[in-house]
Amino acid sequence: MKKSKFTNLVAVIMLTFLTATGCSSASTPDTTKTTPDKLEKVTLQLKWLPQSQFMGYYLAKSKGYYEAEGIDLEILPGGSDIIPEQQVYNGVADIGVTWVSSLMKYQSKGWGLVQTGQIFQKSAMLLVSKASTGINTPEDLKGKKIASWFGGNEYEIYALLEKNALNKETDVKLVQQDYTMNQLLKGEIDAASAMTYNEYGLLLESGLKDSDLHVINMNDAGVAMLEDCLFVNSEWIAKNEDLYVRFMKASIKGWAEACVDPAAAGQIVFEVDKSVSIDHQLYMAKEVAKLVVPTGFDPANIGFIDPAEVKQTAELALKYGLLTKAAVISDDTVTSKYWKLATAK
Amino acid sequence: MINKVKNILCPLAFGIALIMAWQFGLFHKLLKLKPFQLPVPSEIASTLSANLPKALTDCGVTISGALIGLIIGSLIGFMIAAIATFFPKWGYGGMIVVTALNAVPIVALSPIMNLWFSNGMQQKIGVVTVVCMAAMAINAYSGLNNINLYSIDLMHSVAANNWTIFTKLRLPNSLPHLFTATKINIASSIIAAIISEYFASSTAGLGFGIKDNLRKAEMAMGWSYIVVASLAGVILYCIILLVERDAIKWHASQKEIKH
Repeated sequence: MKKSKFTNLVAVIMLTFLTATGCSSASTPDTTKTTPDKLEKVTLQLKWLPQSQFMGYYLAKSKGYYEAEGIDLEILPGGSDIIPEQQVYNGVADIGVTWVSSLMKYQSKGWGLVQTGQIFQKSAMLLVSKASTGINTPEDLKGKKIASWFGGNEYEIYALLEKNALNKETDVKLVQQDYTMNQLLKGEIDAASAMTYNEYGLLLESGLKDSDLHVINMNDAGVAMLEDCLFVNSEWIAKNEDLYVRFMKASIKGWAEACVDPAAAGQIVFEVDKSVSIDHQLYMAKEVAKLVVPTGFDPANIGFIDPAEVKQTAELALKYGLLTKAAVISDDTVTSKYWKLATAK
Repeated sequence: MINKVKNILCPLAFGIALIMAWQFGLFHKLLKLKPFQLPVPSEIASTLSANLPKALTDCGVTISGALIGLIIGSLIGFMIAAIATFFPKWGYGGMIVVTALNAVPIVALSPIMNLWFSNGMQQKIGVVTVVCMAAMAINAYSGLNNINLYSIDLMHSVAANNWTIFTKLRLPNSLPHLFTATKINIASSIIAAIISEYFASSTAGLGFGIKDNLRKAEMAMGWSYIVVASLAGVILYCIILLVERDAIKWHASQKEIKH
């Protein structure tokens, strides 16, 4: 008797539970109906950690420019072992930010990806050494220990060496660089790779002055390759042209505003991810603005893909061994079509 | 005899079937991959043969670092176990420390070693040494101490001192355990060496080759390095097996089962 009472109790509890969950699941659609959700979801894969390098997207997101275009943008941070080309091809992200030279390599291997915008108009790559090392010109690199991050980031350095008649195997010693500048600060290497907006700033923050450092700028040396660009999966873009154009509109608006007031943009990025100091984010924002809107560049053209620069990147990539066959530059690999639609040109 | 043939043929057939399925696109279909994402075995083989000298040089760098680290780590591990055996009261503390060290992940260890050593080889040896210490210390300690009590009583009854007990009783008793530790360490030393190369400043070695090529869309080359790394691991493991078979013929694990 006792036992059956117990089972009854259990049955009652279970029934109540069932009706309760039944009710709640029935009521869920009502709540969604009251908040109409028309935003389309888009994911953007960054090449690196959340930082002012990508301030245009963060600013546009925080000011609601994507929402105004009907887009719910999710920004995925990158990292040393996150490869934007693979993420976008696999569908983890819809749109990616990567270096043009790296994208060309993937395209040449058959990955169906297409470049649809160019955010950085200039190369930010520097080769930095302490003034005491005495590297004043590229020729002085002979016999020196030079560091690179590799993984595709070494080709501007290869081009620089070869252009100055230095053999990368015998005339210099190339080593792998970590993501700090400690190797240079400790004197383990003679010259380090540095981005104008990031690692060079780290050196300044460590107490060195501009006058303590010698810099070889890839733009001045004539071996600049294009860096941060926007690209998509060819199949995805065929179905989402309008969505991508709207993304471009909001992004360009964000970048334009960020370049006018980099300090405010840097502050926004700092609020998103506080892992880097505010000073470093502000420094980076200022330097990045110079790459997106260089002197003499019309801010209305943000995102413009300069065919001559793309050609130079492709030629350098082929000449110095990143590519084994010439890059195919056609509407299937690089297109300004969506940029023109977004900027109404 | 028939059993022996069966033991070899069955795994061999399975392996060939697996490679065939890979070559003819079964995995690509199942995982929805394109050949440029997962290269087929024939492409990996041709890439490897075209780049064999470089792959072998890199393999030599990685394996020599792994082996030196393995030897140093094993020696330190054994010393700690021996000290803990001779001086159980305070020596056992070393065992606890070494076990705790074992819990430090290799990915954390490598950048730390980078700060200590400027040379890629030293850094690699440092990482492998730390990784190999614990397995050896723990196995050696149990080998030196899990001893038949009567045997110790017998040694005492003939007035053997601690040193004699160690060399005549504890050491032989620990041999199978030492081989077990070495077999564990062979695999982990290669893994540790490869991972340490991800972070090292040196651009030589299998680890750098795997990382660099997979990032640069050179998938076939990356896989060639993976193949070389696996082959090197298997060969070293087989060598240890052969040495073990010769060194501890008397142990139960080495006696052939009669059917």
